[in-house]
Amino acid sequence: MSEKISRRDFLKLASVGAATTAVLTGCGPASRYVTREPYTKMPEYTYNGLSTYYATTCRECAAACGLIVRTMQGRAIKVEGNKGNPVNLGKTCARGQATLHGLYNPDRVENPVQQGRAKNFATEAMTWDAAVQVVADAFKNNDPSEIGFLLGMAPDHLFDLVSDLAKSVGAPAPVRFGVLSMFESRATLSKAAENLLGQSGMPFFDVGGSDIVLSFGANFLETWLSPVAYTRGFAKLRRGDPKHRGYFIQFESRMSLTASRADEWIPILPGTEGLVALAIGRLVAEAKGGAVPRAFASVDPAAVATQAGVSLEKLEHAATLILDAQHPLAIPGGAALGQSNGLFTAEAVLAFNALLDNFNQTGGVYLSPLAPNQDEYHRPASAQEMTDFIEKMKSGAVKVLFVHGVNPVFELPKSLGFAEALASVPQVISFATFPDETALASDYIFPDHHGLESWGYQRVVTGTTQSTLSGAQPVVSPYFNTRATADVLIAAAQSAGGKFAEALPFADEVDFIQSKLAGLVGQEGSFLAPEINTFAAYFQQHGGWWKKDAETQVITASNALSKSLKVAPAEFAGEGEFYFLPFVSPTLAEAGANKPWLQELADPTTTVMWNTWVEINPETAHELHLENDDVVKIISEAGEVEAPVYVYPAIRPDTIAMPFGQGHTAYGRYAQGRGANPADVLGQHFNEAGDLAFAGMRVKVEKTGVKKILSRLESRIGVYGEGMGEEH
Amino acid sequence: MTVDLNKLHAVGAIAEEAEGKWGMVIDQDLCTGCQACVAACAMENNIAFVGEEDAGYGRSMHWIRTERFWEGEYPEVRMTDYQPMLCQQCGKAPCEPVCPAFATVHSQAEKINLQVYNRCVGTRYCANNCPYQVRSFNWRDYQDSRIRPEITILANQFNPDVTVRRRGVMEKCTFCIQRIHKAQDKAKSEGREVEDGEFTTACAQACPASAITFGRIDHPESLVSQLARMPHTQHHLEELGTLPSVTYLKGA
Repeated sequence: MSEKISRRDFLKLASVGAATTAVLTGCGPASRYVTREPYTKMPEYTYNGLSTYYATTCRECAAACGLIVRTMQGRAIKVEGNKGNPVNLGKTCARGQATLHGLYNPDRVENPVQQGRAKNFATEAMTWDAAVQVVADAFKNNDPSEIGFLLGMAPDHLFDLVSDLAKSVGAPAPVRFGVLSMFESRATLSKAAENLLGQSGMPFFDVGGSDIVLSFGANFLETWLSPVAYTRGFAKLRRGDPKHRGYFIQFESRMSLTASRADEWIPILPGTEGLVALAIGRLVAEAKGGAVPRAFASVDPAAVATQAGVSLEKLEHAATLILDAQHPLAIPGGAALGQSNGLFTAEAVLAFNALLDNFNQTGGVYLSPLAPNQDEYHRPASAQEMTDFIEKMKSGAVKVLFVHGVNPVFELPKSLGFAEALASVPQVISFATFPDETALASDYIFPDHHGLESWGYQRVVTGTTQSTLSGAQPVVSPYFNTRATADVLIAAAQSAGGKFAEALPFADEVDFIQSKLAGLVGQEGSFLAPEINTFAAYFQQHGGWWKKDAETQVITASNALSKSLKVAPAEFAGEGEFYFLPFVSPTLAEAGANKPWLQELADPTTTVMWNTWVEINPETAHELHLENDDVVKIISEAGEVEAPVYVYPAIRPDTIAMPFGQGHTAYGRYAQGRGANPADVLGQHFNEAGDLAFAGMRVKVEKTGVKKILSRLESRIGVYGEGMGEEH
Repeated sequence: MTVDLNKLHAVGAIAEEAEGKWGMVIDQDLCTGCQACVAACAMENNIAFVGEEDAGYGRSMHWIRTERFWEGEYPEVRMTDYQPMLCQQCGKAPCEPVCPAFATVHSQAEKINLQVYNRCVGTRYCANNCPYQVRSFNWRDYQDSRIRPEITILANQFNPDVTVRRRGVMEKCTFCIQRIHKAQDKAKSEGREVEDGEFTTACAQACPASAITFGRIDHPESLVSQLARMPHTQHHLEELGTLPSVTYLKGA
């Protein structure tokens, strides 16, 4: 890496070859090695009337969908999907589309600031030199063991850089957390795979290759793991075979967006999903003949049906459909795993797949391949591990904490006490792009660029059977006075000297990224490049590098069926007549609330915009004398929260549900002071894999007497007699 | 080229010349209601967001929305398929004859309903007469930075190919006419016809389930024509004689 080739030089060289136009589209406008040119030779992105397109990676969640961003005269205009990227194949979700409202958001952190943990956002700018000095001093003045790094689920290159830094200087490895992974119960899923299959990793469920899908709470059409890839799978399930339309059954206590697309929605009692899976498994095993495998031997389908509140005929019907199918598939996920017995549920559903002989099969279950520059699967921290980290912060063992890409003050349940723990850390430095709750509680905010202004890469954890590394490059120059966090850390490490400087011997972020890509040079894949500069240019142009063929980790599940599963009933914390079901808003997810067009999107099932609601069954609402828009107080053992009622026809009478995503006390004008956060009423209860038992709470509901009219896209006329006059 | 569109079931075309007609097929069995189309449409077409209060008054400006209806009561309750609803680009459009300013007119070239913003005087007769309720009216200057200062930054994202609308103007889905024209110009400069699938509308491009297909319905071999000939097709409110250009596919 001693000789740097300038971007212009590279283009000149490349223009000799045949692939000129293709290469032109591949280089970012903010490329680091730009030489001065006369005005008569304008760069390609400033031609009037012509759009330039850049490939990059979406940062709205960690699924690593590839994007092609249309830019015009240095402004990002429209997000389109990258057709080459194996995860999304040219498609995007609503959040990916609205990422531009994050880029051009009026409430970004525009300069490095000394926040000083003030309640209001500090706006007096610091210089970046002073900011780098603050970070360098934090490195020098603390023992490495007292430095803490808390990172989000994206981007991976920063995680690698911080991991390398921490390892070299003897600091604890960075803690990684994302609230989507908490609601997905990722730790439970991988622990179940480990217990049952002897291999840890992220299972991938091939919905597209299947012809009947039984989903036990998995909300795979919403925010689960890799929503665009799973939605494509769903489309293939329905229309992949023109002669046979795939069938889909969802077991879930509330009709989610995913359940609303199912042919059958079966509202079973929360916490009985694992038992139901075993019961159907037993019916299938008995019908197939031979000995019933040990995992299913002890379960009594009739008793389970009574316990789950479903008729035995429905379970028998599901078993019949499975017996007739070529590729039946069962998926565990969502709130079913966020129970005290979540690990049992995940194991039961995986055992059910073993019974159906589904591992390594089309329409079955794979272990997702590792990404190209990955040695092993790193799962994000579970809520239990975050609690341990919070204890460590409280004990004073963390003297300085760096936070990037995550907002735990908002995301973690209040009862875990993250905000209090943060207050006991002497110095907190945030790299937030937006003034979120955690950033405001920090001493400094040194804002990172927005994802569309950033270099980087993201590993594909699941969603495709091709091993994929999705690449990111800036599609526009930074709009504000922000700086890449990787660059700040590199500069600070070099300023701190000693071990720190040795740990990061890089000129800048791009230099570091190229060092991580070096191992892929000369490998067969989506493209082949003989040396690193060519590789890096193609990596930008294609939006990443992936293997051409499917490549999964082979599962050896020979003893999955012989294990007897520890059947555990779900325990519910607290008192109250209702089970409480928080779910991630399908349109906002965890960080969409500051994007105005995401707020204006109608929630798919309720059509509510710009607010939070509580879903209550019509009959229950009638008994409690509740109507639409009555504000109720939800009280759990951990806290209380208020939100207006939405009388929802498709939820169990003993369950109430509330979307997660609103209720910010900071995070810009579109998010702040809007709606309520269901995490406020969640308690400290975990399942055996350490994931939060977020669906294992009982709550009371109290009418407050206040009304708050929810803005809905649907008409209210005629709904439950509203607007129909007194006679109705 | 003369094609008998009645034989192709491209019903929306029978009231007019077929040549050049664009159409859409939406597979409701695939739609998951995820709103990607709505967000993509808003970003492509500079559609204003109106905020919570105005949205509550029904003033939100979605050019496409996903409708859903409930059937039955718990526990036998069922949600109907999501139904993406957008301007049906009617062959005989009820909105057209009622406009006193000739702001909503029929295009000869693309066979779609145009909305001429600088002719519109805001009588809202067209929205009143639209059976699909897909027209939205600019009740305020939502995108004027003198009224909403934050637009100064957000406006960086505006698509320069699409007009930013002012208060008092009606608007609706245009079948992304700017994309149609761009593709036609490109094809013309290269001396060829626009190929099927060469470009598509913003909603179809984003849709993760590929439920939306767009193309020429006067070309019998185009994908959209082939899909429109499938069984289980439906045209919404066709009993009104609107001759819609959007065909819906129902589940099996």
